[in-house]
Amino acid sequence: MEPENASRRQFLQASSGTLGFAWLAANWPQVAAAAAHAHTAAVEGDRSRLLFLNAAQARDVEAIAAQIVPSDDTPGAREAGVVWFVDHVHAGPWSRGGADFLAGLADFQARCARHHPGVAQFADLTSEDQLAYLQHVERTPFFEQMRFLTVLGLLASPAYGGNAGKVGWKLVGFVDQHAWQPPFGYYDAAYEGFRPYDEEAAEGRP
Amino acid sequence: MTARRFGPNDTVDFVVVGSGAAGGVMARELSRAGSSVIVLEQGPRLTAADFRHDEFAYWFELELGNRLDAKPQTFRRDASTVATAVREFPAAWYAATVGGSSTHFTGNFWRFHENDFDERSRLGPIAGTTFADWPIRYADLEPYYTKVDWEIGVSGLAGASPFDPPRSKPYPMPPLPVKSSGVLLERGARKLGLHPFPAPMAIASVPYRDRPACAHCGFCIGYGCEMRAKSSTLYTAIPEAEATGRCEVRPQSYVARIETSKAGRATGVTYFDASKRERFQKARAVVVCANGAETPRLLLMSATSKFPDGLANSSGLVGRNLMFNTYAQVHALFEHELNEYKSVQCTRVVHDWYDHDPKRGFYGGGGLDARGGPMPTVWAAFSAPPDQRWGAGYKRFLQDMPRAMLVATHGTSLALADNRIDLDPTLKDAWGLPALRMTYRDHPDDLKFARFLQERAREIMDAAGARRVWADPVVEATGSPHLLGTARMGDDPRSSVVDRFHRTHDVRNLFVCDGSSFVTSGRGQPTMTIMALAFRAGEHIARFAKRGEI
Repeated sequence: MEPENASRRQFLQASSGTLGFAWLAANWPQVAAAAAHAHTAAVEGDRSRLLFLNAAQARDVEAIAAQIVPSDDTPGAREAGVVWFVDHVHAGPWSRGGADFLAGLADFQARCARHHPGVAQFADLTSEDQLAYLQHVERTPFFEQMRFLTVLGLLASPAYGGNAGKVGWKLVGFVDQHAWQPPFGYYDAAYEGFRPYDEEAAEGRP
Repeated sequence: MTARRFGPNDTVDFVVVGSGAAGGVMARELSRAGSSVIVLEQGPRLTAADFRHDEFAYWFELELGNRLDAKPQTFRRDASTVATAVREFPAAWYAATVGGSSTHFTGNFWRFHENDFDERSRLGPIAGTTFADWPIRYADLEPYYTKVDWEIGVSGLAGASPFDPPRSKPYPMPPLPVKSSGVLLERGARKLGLHPFPAPMAIASVPYRDRPACAHCGFCIGYGCEMRAKSSTLYTAIPEAEATGRCEVRPQSYVARIETSKAGRATGVTYFDASKRERFQKARAVVVCANGAETPRLLLMSATSKFPDGLANSSGLVGRNLMFNTYAQVHALFEHELNEYKSVQCTRVVHDWYDHDPKRGFYGGGGLDARGGPMPTVWAAFSAPPDQRWGAGYKRFLQDMPRAMLVATHGTSLALADNRIDLDPTLKDAWGLPALRMTYRDHPDDLKFARFLQERAREIMDAAGARRVWADPVVEATGSPHLLGTARMGDDPRSSVVDRFHRTHDVRNLFVCDGSSFVTSGRGQPTMTIMALAFRAGEHIARFAKRGEI
């Protein structure tokens, strides 16, 4: 139901004066068409079962992502369901990179086990120990890859499994909408118009 | 009139290879002049309803792009090394779809200035480069720039930039509404005594002809326009060409070879259709508008015993003199919200450093513009300052997105004979054709000028009152969407591939018109000039056809 509500909200916003009436009258069919096919992108991905990672791998992926974008008074990578994105993308569009990803993860886990003997896996470390260990490996290609995947899982369309409830978009202040009207921000709202450098130039040089 | 469909045995006047900025305009001009035209486009035909707000699909899955799994590319710095396959992002980045890269472009439509055409004469030679004048001048192209403004649709404010070359008509549409990034660039630049001006953009600011105005949705650079407000050839020149009843656009038609007769004339092209079946299309003349990377690749793939080094390559210059435009950026954070994810990329431009200045001690010229940058994912992945790459600091950086903007710098690339596109000796694409190989190393002056301009961008952001400014390091290029110079235009067949009317020196009924025709790179925004060249070439080629001079 979420997607339909989203496009209906857009129409309600559009018709309740958020957008200039004249503009809307001139463009209504196009905005309607744009909003109508928007629902395909807004469907939330399935987060019911893992398609690629096993449970232990998923725990570590989630723990690493949660250090890259931590949760505090606002949601982070964990609440965004980044792990679902990482899982689904390797089962789907990036399946060809799946083996490399698992090899990188296995190496990360093995090194972590040597560093912290007696602890079953990275996810079981205290948050302080996790942070210290990631600082230790932050220049490795695997960490770089995890950072990249975390960004995508946080901010790509919810259709890919992450960005649950659009928490990533809320974090960065982004609203996915098919039409905006100026002013867009604080500074253009106060803009007084372009002052020409001299009157002759303002009239052009025909 | 509905679009024409030609039969398999029909001979058409022209086959145009590519449907982008050049190919779309070329098809329009030739078909309107009375010729029959088939446009072969390797990508699919998409419509406004196909375009979505989906960063992952467009930026990371290259939904509109030349996908590397099917069409691999290789890259190397110089000829002494073996080129390796490009893995993450194409070295030659273009949109493979009807409309070509005009479908996903930003729409920065700067005209070239007078000096872009004759700077070699003004400055003298530059050692180690193939820096040269164009065979045409700004005045030759001005009427066609004006055609682009009006026939394709450009928004802007004539006379606003004191540096602009003369123009015969104002813009047909007013500038797009200024964004906060534009206001801040203008504020900082004016404080420093510079002359920022409203960006000329190939995006409708008001309803224009049959198209609606921009809805400011923000999904612009890298995306197809779901409003049809972007002045892509997909929405402008191509439907107009089809409306003549003399033009057919064939999507998913990937050209493998231009065929030539024993007498050395082009007879048509061999291409793969959507089901990878090989087909031959007969034509009285062939016009290649496949972009500055695919055009030379196709000419090289069309070698025969008569043309052993590739078609139209007696000069040995096909694929050589590859130029990009240097690009650097500066990020800035402000106190209040800008919300740069809304609306078009650029609304203000600074051209105060457009001209070369010998006092700087190195060659170069360019411009800079205020940008929102791409949307959340690309911004978050690639824009963080080095001390806030992950953890709590990174999260604060993410939360600052509404207050962030960037300034992008655009500059000259010098032509170097060793920078080139050719055929990879081993790697093949999914059709069994040789992969595109790119060899590129920036001239040191190009990098020096990019760093110079980046410092100016930093000063402007400081003057605008930014709370924090940081710059991405300027590094050697590993590719570009601006693919220029690889079949350069000139009067002398020994030092150029096409003449001033885009006819190849070697094959009388073969024409080439796109970024490959450029002799110099310009200052950073080539598409306006590509379209102007196509309007001019189309007019001349149609005249040749009428006179029986093809």
